[in-house]
Amino acid sequence: MDVIMPQLGETVSEGTVSVWHKTIGDTVSTKEPLFDVSSDKVEMEVPAPAEGTLLEIRVDAGTTVPVGEVVAVIVREGEVIEAKAAAPVAVRAEAEGAKADIASVRSNSVKAANRDANGNPLSPAVRRLVAEHDLDPAAIAGSGMKGRIKKKDVLAHLESGATGGRSRTVAAPPPLTFSADDTEVIPFNKLRKLTAEHMVRSKATSPHVLQAVEADFARVARARTGVSGAWKKREGFSLTYLPFIAKAVCEAIREYPRVNGAIDGENLVVFRRVNLGIAVDLDFDGLVAPVIKDADQMSLQELARAIRDVSERARTNQLKPDDFTEGTYTISNSGVFGTMITAPIINQPQVAILSTDGIAKKPVVIETEDGDTIGIRPVGVLAQSFDHRAIDGAYSAAFLNRVRDILQTKDWAAVLS
Amino acid sequence: MAELTYREAVAEAIAQEMRRDENVVFLGEDIGAAGGVFKATVGLFKEFGPERVRDTPISEQAILGAAMGSAMTGLKPIAEIMFSDFLAVCWDIVANEIAKARYMTGGQMSMPLVIRTANGGGSRFGAQHSQSVENWAMMVPGLKVVAPSSPADVKGLLAAAIRDPDPVMFFEQKSLYPIKGFVPDGELVDELGTAKVLRDGGEVTIVALAAMVPRAMKAAEELSAQHGIEATVVDVRSLVPLDTQTILRETSKTGRLVTVEENPRLCGWGAEIASIVVDEIFWDLDGPIIRITTPHIPLPAADALEDATMPSAERIVREIVEKID
Repeated sequence: MDVIMPQLGETVSEGTVSVWHKTIGDTVSTKEPLFDVSSDKVEMEVPAPAEGTLLEIRVDAGTTVPVGEVVAVIVREGEVIEAKAAAPVAVRAEAEGAKADIASVRSNSVKAANRDANGNPLSPAVRRLVAEHDLDPAAIAGSGMKGRIKKKDVLAHLESGATGGRSRTVAAPPPLTFSADDTEVIPFNKLRKLTAEHMVRSKATSPHVLQAVEADFARVARARTGVSGAWKKREGFSLTYLPFIAKAVCEAIREYPRVNGAIDGENLVVFRRVNLGIAVDLDFDGLVAPVIKDADQMSLQELARAIRDVSERARTNQLKPDDFTEGTYTISNSGVFGTMITAPIINQPQVAILSTDGIAKKPVVIETEDGDTIGIRPVGVLAQSFDHRAIDGAYSAAFLNRVRDILQTKDWAAVLS
Repeated sequence: MAELTYREAVAEAIAQEMRRDENVVFLGEDIGAAGGVFKATVGLFKEFGPERVRDTPISEQAILGAAMGSAMTGLKPIAEIMFSDFLAVCWDIVANEIAKARYMTGGQMSMPLVIRTANGGGSRFGAQHSQSVENWAMMVPGLKVVAPSSPADVKGLLAAAIRDPDPVMFFEQKSLYPIKGFVPDGELVDELGTAKVLRDGGEVTIVALAAMVPRAMKAAEELSAQHGIEATVVDVRSLVPLDTQTILRETSKTGRLVTVEENPRLCGWGAEIASIVVDEIFWDLDGPIIRITTPHIPLPAADALEDATMPSAERIVREIVEKID
């Protein structure tokens, strides 16, 4: 019986076998982990699909394979003899086929990648540049002996605007030169690599526009202070500003649903559900954005608990693959460090993201019937990056204005009581 | 700043260190009253006297044996081997004893001595007095190996070698003794294990040592003027410790490496550098590494033949022009 790489959530296409808990010949069970898989921000244990014995491990730990690929073979009771008799021939035939495939691929790729149009070998530096930029060496004019392509020819080719087969718009920066004594090299871990890839892709995909409003949190602050002691005692954690902002966002989305969408080709898909992503910093060790499903159906208290729950599970590495799926809008909160404004990068394929920053007391002008006065109010900036393909500035501004209005005018004390 | 010859810089460095530290002593054949057969130690005998500047019998083993013993018992001797070819008769003392003392005693004993020697060809001295043997020393773990190309480097690196707590082989290229160069005034102490970028080009990196450095510089000017090829020139200065960072960085920049060695071809130091470059920055190379060396033969004494065997500026230019594209 084949053991396959499981699907770890809808948007995941591959997984990495991080650890094998069993070795060949071991008894395996549906109740014990057979191997660990890491994929898009989560690590999880996978039990055997049936009781039996581990016959074969096909994928070494550390290897990434597509979902559905056979990673191991187990033999159930009674299946043994049949498998033994049939396997060798089939396996050998398969192996021969694979060998032939590799041979043909190899000879082709050598021809394609290691020689120029005149049959000259490519130097290591040229090979690397050609691979990095996915170039066709035959298209590059060589200035060396017998038309040999030199490194500078590739650089000139790239400078002239040539791009590779894949649409690459950014030329690779020149390699860093530094002294090892003066530097510490920190290899990217899996999460860092995913984040880097996602951020570059998002910026390359969406024309980001940043808009910000300043909101007066006086009512929110009053409501928080009113219940803070009792809340902490009852719930075991502090009530922060974030659930209020999340609540206001959910309500404003009802009126301005297009910020709660995704682009699909030439369509804007507007979601009826509001699944709120909450960006959580893992103590400077990475960033994840678990999703609170149907956040608009929750009360303020439920939202507070849900935010607390995903943050806690994020920090203790207990999020499940499905905690990351189906997000429709994301809130990023840098407020704890007292920043004034952050221009967030959109969490693809969504079309908008909100950053909440520090809330601090400031003098503000308060308009009353008897004239203007100056008061001291807790004030914070709400900044939204939106995808200008999906919506325009006026729509985004109206949404932001509505979020601010809700925060400033809702009777939060009543909501909490 | 004073203009000194390479040979005057030798005496200046020794004098500087002998004035500073009374444990520094100097011994060798005809180095005292005669001022050295290459006149590189003139004035030392007069200033420091026969106790500290000591003429020895013609026995290289005796010279290095005495240097080793005095280093073991607290002095900081500088020993001269008149021709580096004669190191061959000293090899047990150098390779087995001096190089290994710190290791064999678990660090209890150090060997703070310098072996100075006149090295290399170009002076019509024939096969037994012209060899470039810095690569012999480079192969022995426990030895530091320095080979300067200019008067300023002679003074600064020799001072650093004398102050170093471990044995340093100091190779003076004998055809360079008459060359002149500016040397900073006052105390000068350089750092072992640092290469120098003498010329910044963009297309090819020439790595050279000792007498090959001025030839590489001349070749670089010729390449620029006659062939439009801009070369970077790196003076290695010290084979052990080796400044791989500078060599790798400068080679990465151009993608092309040329080593210019006086060593006979087999196992010359350039082979080691080529090996390191291939290990570390293979994917930065834009063409084959070019090694320019003396062929694997005893060096002839006849003028025309000696000139034909050692890498000359003309040969460096020719080989680079032929092979660089």
